[in-house]
Amino acid sequence: MSDDLKKRVKELIVRQLKLEMDPATIADDAPLFGDADGGLGLDSIDALELVLGVEKEFGIKVQDEEVGVTAFASVNALCAFVRQKAA
Amino acid sequence: MDFQPLPHAFPFRFADGVVERTGRAEGRVRASVTADAAAVRATGFPTAVLAELVAQSALLLQGGDSALGRKGFLAGISDLSVQRLPVPGDVLTIDVSIAGRLGDTVKFDGVILDAHGGAIARGSVTVKQGSA
Repeated sequence: MSDDLKKRVKELIVRQLKLEMDPATIADDAPLFGDADGGLGLDSIDALELVLGVEKEFGIKVQDEEVGVTAFASVNALCAFVRQKAA
Repeated sequence: MDFQPLPHAFPFRFADGVVERTGRAEGRVRASVTADAAAVRATGFPTAVLAELVAQSALLLQGGDSALGRKGFLAGISDLSVQRLPVPGDVLTIDVSIAGRLGDTVKFDGVILDAHGGAIARGSVTVKQGSA
């Protein structure tokens, strides 16, 4: 999977959610939501912000909550989702 | 500590009624700032109340009853900028549009206008539908 896309997605997450962290420190397969170790601990409010960010950055609409939960499971999942929609 | 929702009845009800609907949960709401409202201080509304005003307007446009009920609660505030605080006697208009939606979470953009049509504040609120 393209490192450029991963970098872009990580930067999007940090920028859109106004996180005070280095995007590079987000692990590719770390869970974005929930309280799992190594995860970002995001919640449903953050999910909506990510939806808006993905729409703005990649021109992809995410309207279904289930799709959102799956697509935003991790950086890897989000990259796969973006690539699938862009194909 | 149990979360107690803010009651949307006077003096905590800031949005009076829908003036115009331009879409589903979008449109224009009127609000009158009265001197005896609990939130009004000598200096005007506290800034946070402006966000609550946008949220109440959004929920009114979604079909919530201004006196008896509501369909959600204010869950987040972003990019709120204030040119001036409302003062008693102001009649405000709040233009609300949907910025995005995911499941029961909806983000609204709001612009609060004074009687002359000038924007006194603008910002976004995120509302969770349902009970807290």
